[in-house]
Amino acid sequence: MPRDSSTSLGITTISRNWRRRFAVRGVFWRECLDWAIINLPFHFYPVLLIFWTFFFFFFAAPARRAIVANLAIILPGSTRAMNHLRAFRTLSNFAWTISEAAIYKLNREEFAYQITGAQWLDQLAAAQGAIVLTAHMGNYDLGAALFAQKCNREIRMVRAPEPDRQTAEHLSSSLEQTGEGAVKVDYNTAGALLSFDLLNAIRRGEIVSIQGDRTEGNVGQIDGELFGTRVRLPNGPFVLALAARVPIYPLFIARSGCRSYEIIVREPIAVVRSGRAREDDIAEAVAKWCAVLEELLAERWDQWFAFTPLFLSDETKH
Amino acid sequence: MKQSIERHAQFYFSLPRLVAKICGGDPRRAEINTLEAWAGSLIFYLISYVFFAAQFIPTGLPRWQTALLLVAVAFFVWLFWLLLLYINSLIIKMLQLCGLFRTIPIRRAQSILLGISMTAMACALLMRGSWMRGVGLFWLLAVAANLACALVLTLSNEE
Repeated sequence: MPRDSSTSLGITTISRNWRRRFAVRGVFWRECLDWAIINLPFHFYPVLLIFWTFFFFFFAAPARRAIVANLAIILPGSTRAMNHLRAFRTLSNFAWTISEAAIYKLNREEFAYQITGAQWLDQLAAAQGAIVLTAHMGNYDLGAALFAQKCNREIRMVRAPEPDRQTAEHLSSSLEQTGEGAVKVDYNTAGALLSFDLLNAIRRGEIVSIQGDRTEGNVGQIDGELFGTRVRLPNGPFVLALAARVPIYPLFIARSGCRSYEIIVREPIAVVRSGRAREDDIAEAVAKWCAVLEELLAERWDQWFAFTPLFLSDETKH
Repeated sequence: MKQSIERHAQFYFSLPRLVAKICGGDPRRAEINTLEAWAGSLIFYLISYVFFAAQFIPTGLPRWQTALLLVAVAFFVWLFWLLLLYINSLIIKMLQLCGLFRTIPIRRAQSILLGISMTAMACALLMRGSWMRGVGLFWLLAVAANLACALVLTLSNEE
């Protein structure tokens, strides 16, 4: 009997691992993409990516629904059918974006980029410790690598944890490979330990990049407002900036064409102690960040890859 | 304030590269041109689509059945390409073991093998007559023009 139960346990584990591997966010698709980048001529991508977008449009239903729900807030008055078409466009952009990140990693192809806000990027490159606050927008992975390469600086990226361990390992090694060792990846699962680690890194003069457009898991949260709707954003970057006394640089990498990107840097947000309550100082910085994020999302909604419902009204609807 | 990093080389296929050279541009190979990517992709896909549609869809079916089959063929062609790319990758590995295709990237070796497969399909379309002959002829002329331009570029030390 015990042998039977151990055999069935083994089969269950194998079946669970197998399902995880082939799930929408499983490592199998990332490995397929790497294979395709090495094996496919570039003039094969457009049609194949359209088919893959169709595939994920139907099979990644939660992501599709989240995009549609987010778009209903960003573009009020738009119909549900139209937002489904826009969701397809967003997923298609995502397919191109991750393909181009893989092209950079594996083929070392050259990329063109344009910088908007170059004066702030220069400031960031020269900063002794800073926080880069970005969003799940455009090619943030490639952006970190381009920044590290252009400014000859090391950068520490904090990412939301991946649901699949193998996918997380694959992404971490991809990012480190893309950044040629100048990009280090941390997952915000280690709680307080990671916060102290990041604070020390900033005090040593390093640059820490955090995605500030959605929260996942048990990370510290703060309320903000986007498009007149309440959202919950991570409070870590703001607390960190206040503690380390460094500015926050809003930075986004938007795709502007085939292997062509726009690096958008906005005016740094200073989180300073004003003598009021600490929460008020943080809330002021969060409001500034929300204003920047809102402007970018209104312009580039088709490159916002936060595949979870962000707006609190959506959460209650689901 | 805006800054930009521009690229010089613009084209992948030999024909536009030779035209760029004649016009004083940079004839080096580059895999960045959106128009080339879409044109190449659509031509590859459409020729294979026409080939398989002509092979598998019998004439004289009711319209709705023909429409259904045309949609099915679109997905079948996608699966066919995935399978062919995989088989080609195995062929390339084998050729590399024999000492061939070692100096060029795998994706360019794939391009050559895919070009051969497409040319075979275009030749089959030539035999079919009607508008399909035009499609096949278009492909063969495009390949011939590109090969000629590649030869010119090679002779002028641009390859």
